[in-house]
Amino acid sequence: MTLLQLGVDGVALGAAYALVAAGFVLALNASRAVNFAHGDMVMAGGFLAVVLAGLMKLPGIVLLPFAVALMALAGVLLAAVAYLPLRRQPVVAVFVSTIAAGIMLQNAATAWFGAAPRAGPSLVGGGVVALGPFALGRQALAVIAVAAGAYVGLHLLLARTQLGRRLRAAAQDPAMAAALGIPVTAMTLVAFALSAALAGIAGLLLSNSFFVTPTEGGNLMLKAYIAATIGGWGRLNGAALGALLIGLFETVAATLVSQVAAEALLYAALLLILLLRPQGLFGEIAGSRA
Amino acid sequence: MRDALRRSLVPLASSLLALAATAPFVAGGSYGIRLLTVAGIYALLALGYQLVFGHAGALSLAQGAFFGIGAYATGILAVRLGLDGALTAPASILLPAALAALVAAPVLRLESHYFALATLGLAQLALLVAINAEAMTGGANGLPGVPGLALLGVAVAKGWPLLAVVWSAVAAVAWLAWRATGGRRALVFRLLREDPIAAEALGIDTGRLRFGAFLFAAAAAGLAGALHAHLLGVVSPEVLEFPVLVACLSMVVIGGRARVAGAVLGAMLLVHLPEALRDIGAWYMVVYGGVLLAVIVFAPNGIVGALSRGLDRLVPGAPAPLPVPVAPPLPAPVPPSRPVLSLRGATKRFGGLTALDAVDLDVAAGEMLGIIGPNGSGKTTLVNVMSGLYRPEAGVVLLAGARIDGEPPFRIARAGVARGFQAPRLIDDAGVLDNVALGVREHDAAPGRAMHWLRRLGLEDVARRRCGDLPGGLRRRVEIARAMASAPRLLLLDEPAAGLTPQEQDTLARALKTLNGEGVTVVVVEHAVAFLAALSTRLVCLVEGRIVAEGPPGCVVRDPRVVAAYLGARWQGTEA
Repeated sequence: MTLLQLGVDGVALGAAYALVAAGFVLALNASRAVNFAHGDMVMAGGFLAVVLAGLMKLPGIVLLPFAVALMALAGVLLAAVAYLPLRRQPVVAVFVSTIAAGIMLQNAATAWFGAAPRAGPSLVGGGVVALGPFALGRQALAVIAVAAGAYVGLHLLLARTQLGRRLRAAAQDPAMAAALGIPVTAMTLVAFALSAALAGIAGLLLSNSFFVTPTEGGNLMLKAYIAATIGGWGRLNGAALGALLIGLFETVAATLVSQVAAEALLYAALLLILLLRPQGLFGEIAGSRA
Repeated sequence: MRDALRRSLVPLASSLLALAATAPFVAGGSYGIRLLTVAGIYALLALGYQLVFGHAGALSLAQGAFFGIGAYATGILAVRLGLDGALTAPASILLPAALAALVAAPVLRLESHYFALATLGLAQLALLVAINAEAMTGGANGLPGVPGLALLGVAVAKGWPLLAVVWSAVAAVAWLAWRATGGRRALVFRLLREDPIAAEALGIDTGRLRFGAFLFAAAAAGLAGALHAHLLGVVSPEVLEFPVLVACLSMVVIGGRARVAGAVLGAMLLVHLPEALRDIGAWYMVVYGGVLLAVIVFAPNGIVGALSRGLDRLVPGAPAPLPVPVAPPLPAPVPPSRPVLSLRGATKRFGGLTALDAVDLDVAAGEMLGIIGPNGSGKTTLVNVMSGLYRPEAGVVLLAGARIDGEPPFRIARAGVARGFQAPRLIDDAGVLDNVALGVREHDAAPGRAMHWLRRLGLEDVARRRCGDLPGGLRRRVEIARAMASAPRLLLLDEPAAGLTPQEQDTLARALKTLNGEGVTVVVVEHAVAFLAALSTRLVCLVEGRIVAEGPPGCVVRDPRVVAAYLGARWQGTEA
């Protein structure tokens, strides 16, 4: 395997992780709490892709809009059940409620599909694309393209539209946003819907090359969590960049050394970062004041 | 008598509930006894977790890992070296505790979301080591052949003997936990988890409390892990996996996070739940998650919390009589020749903004010093520097001649600086008396002295009221009573008149004047000039982080620089 192929695979994994991390940060900014069920939402997106592919026998790229719509609904449900009733409680209560939601998702998936890994649909078919002297995976390239498209779309939505401005305002200062007439609860629900939609896209993207198993959520959530820490708590672009680096690092280290070494190094690096630079590599957005 | 009976109602009802849930299984013979042993082991784990999660409010995700490390310590020492339980059990307790102590210094400082992540990273590393250090741990297959528990050569057989040992350990750990968190200490922990800044300002060493809780949790988890290894006879990586933590978290949340009975009840119920739900097969874990979610939403204090509330309603006890007020001993007087507090060149910057610019200030013993200044002039920063919440970048802060800058806020509070906050930081869900008692550092003297300060500030009538239900003026006085209860040499108040009605302001001013008249040194920072000019013996005006005027109130409010700061330069002429 050439270094270029390795790089493309790494970027593909990192791009999917970036969507996971972006969704994680969206929910984080809207609720100020960690959504421990986020990885399980990605897993749910993966199984949704498996089911849709079974029903419709269409390539993944066509199934994507269905997955996005259904997962957005699931995100609204998650917020309504596990976040909104607890928003005036200390954030740790939301940590626990989302852990509970994650347990439900994971075990419902096990009960339905069994514990064995399942393969989701490829986006535009498998095989390789010849690029001069290089043969690159078609699925990996498609994953990168879709993830980049989704990320640009998210960026445009947040930066250029009135909805995006309202979302950001409601996340930054809910009291002030409410005083300006912005429906903060609705914005929170939209943020969770977007977060889950991104999880759904990531789940579909990952489900083909990496399969999907009911228990994978914890690991995905942990990677998004680490990415958000590396990138600066609350920073969307920072987290996406952090996730891209994690995917790239994981792919390269797993090939050159071993999967175990890659994971151990990642956790050790995380503990070092928390020790030396808890504000993240790019700084936190909001400091607390007394 | 009646009171003692009422107090024992909750544990009694919890035990009945636990018995009702487990009786069918115990009656079922050896399998039932085994389940009950497992329940005891999980009760140990949950009792430890209550301290760090329930009381200190930190979501540690390493509790399962500490359990697993304890199990592996016993497994490896017993299988590879053939050591006795009298050696392996202490090792299983000490190893997780030592690990917790090692990581505590960096991780306990972190904010809640980073603390959760750091402990999760730690747990993942432990799991990786267990799976991959095959020579020592047996890798993914685990370590078979762990002998049953033997203490000093005496074998403790599985069945009734082990059950008795396990539940004796539960009783011992429960007693320790109750000693550490019972009664008034529960309230201290509550302030620590709801408002650590207010806790520090009252002289509570939040770092030490958190550290102790984390260590206790790790030690209890290690002991539970050791017993688990003996019971199962095998240690596999499963003991380090996330489900152990989930089980422990669920027990504490469902049973009740801050009551000893909650941990025990939670463990009993959740260990037996899979048996009760056996008919629904694979879906039982979904129900489990659903129950956890429902409890955290609808009964945040768990079953024991709901039980205790229900019993209070069913058997309403006569309200306990208010404690008899006890006047505190007089604080050592500061010689009037020496200032109580001095700042020399105190400077505080936030990024590019200099909030305090080389401030020199002396607070004389017994004075009522008013500090005025427009919004953003650095008044609150000044209070925060004086009370140690902020560390000045340059300059020194002296309390009765001793340097206090750089000391943690709780030390400065213990040295005699008490403060109020711009918005009173009280435990809203607790009563007025309890809130004020938190100010007294001697546990036994707390109720009497708290009552003394309630009377002094005219709060006797609301002593039993919930703080969250009080209007702003009363909340302010509760906070001042709490500050005074810590017997300070110096009382710092940050905009106490903000949001108060004119009548409330009058009452507050009279209360402060009385305190000052009795020799309490007071520094009041205030935006409202008229309120402060009438109250203070000396006035200082702060503009853009510097002192621009100082002297008797009458002179300072007419000072052209002060007028300019408040009204803009063009008003200077008309005022003069």
